[in-house]
Amino acid sequence: MTELAINFPFALQGAPAPQVQGIDLSWYLALSAVLFTIGVVGVIIKRNVISMFMCIELMLNAVNLTFVAFASYFRDVTGQLFVFIVMTVAAAEAAVGLGIIIAIFRNRESLDVDDANILKL
Amino acid sequence: MTLTGWEAVFFWVFAVTALMAALLTVLARNAVHSAMFLISTLVSVAALFILLGAEFVAGAQILVYVGGVMVLFLFVIMLVNVGAEERGKEAIFNRTPQVVASLLFSGLLVIGLVIGINQGWRAIQERDERDNRLVEVQVRRAQEEQALPVAATNTMKITRDTERIGNSLYRYASLPFEIASILLLVAIIGSVMLARTIKQEAVTDDLDPEVLKEAAPLITERADLTEG
Repeated sequence: MTELAINFPFALQGAPAPQVQGIDLSWYLALSAVLFTIGVVGVIIKRNVISMFMCIELMLNAVNLTFVAFASYFRDVTGQLFVFIVMTVAAAEAAVGLGIIIAIFRNRESLDVDDANILKL
Repeated sequence: MTLTGWEAVFFWVFAVTALMAALLTVLARNAVHSAMFLISTLVSVAALFILLGAEFVAGAQILVYVGGVMVLFLFVIMLVNVGAEERGKEAIFNRTPQVVASLLFSGLLVIGLVIGINQGWRAIQERDERDNRLVEVQVRRAQEEQALPVAATNTMKITRDTERIGNSLYRYASLPFEIASILLLVAIIGSVMLARTIKQEAVTDDLDPEVLKEAAPLITERADLTEG
């Protein structure tokens, strides 16, 4: 198998890192940071409530990736346990949130967040 | 920091897929397209979980997110989606405050990538070098891989990831586990309560008398429903 070496571009200075086969934290951290930011940008940009919800799911998933990356780096399953709790919260949030969306839609005939500016249904 | 061999290839394939699909989730104007791209992001992240040695989390991700949450999303989109979103004409990137805020967050991301991860990760690395922890981790990983049972076909080894997670979940994290189950129960009841129509609420006598009086024209079939 050919060796395919990829150097982390942001390691600007200092001694080269010790090469640990199979453990590579910073790439996963960078990827999940980018995914999280895409989710944040989506929540800011989108005006459809369902699309905003999907971007929130994206952010939660980016955090899960960070948890699993650290769990793999430290060889500790605690991070993976946290992922399960996060997944539970995400599922509960999706169920309740979509119920709220249906209730709002039934009263306002619209999914635009700018239309939903009064708490009273 | 070096990724080697096929692991690097697969990391790049799935990372790029996840990023592109995430971008398209935000950029798609049609909500159904958005959901489809989000599904491909979630599948790519599940593949990355497998690369990280967390097979059980990857399976749970596929089952819970793709099989449960996203199907729920698609149901709701198809139940309620009318108007501009359905025709794919939803306007995005046309309001200055939103664009400025998202550009600010993207700038924060660049700062975080260049400074935060770089320094923080180097600090972790220095600490681990000082404590010899990296060597320990490597030794432990090698031992674990040695101790893995061989599959029946003798071609691969079976990981212990699921077993370890099950052990710690019930031994050390049983209280959070129970709390999570209570949370799910509350969410089920709450979403059923929220999604009821006013007619259904009236049938179960769950309305204020005043609201009932106001909504009386809406619920003419109430008597029929209660009798039947």
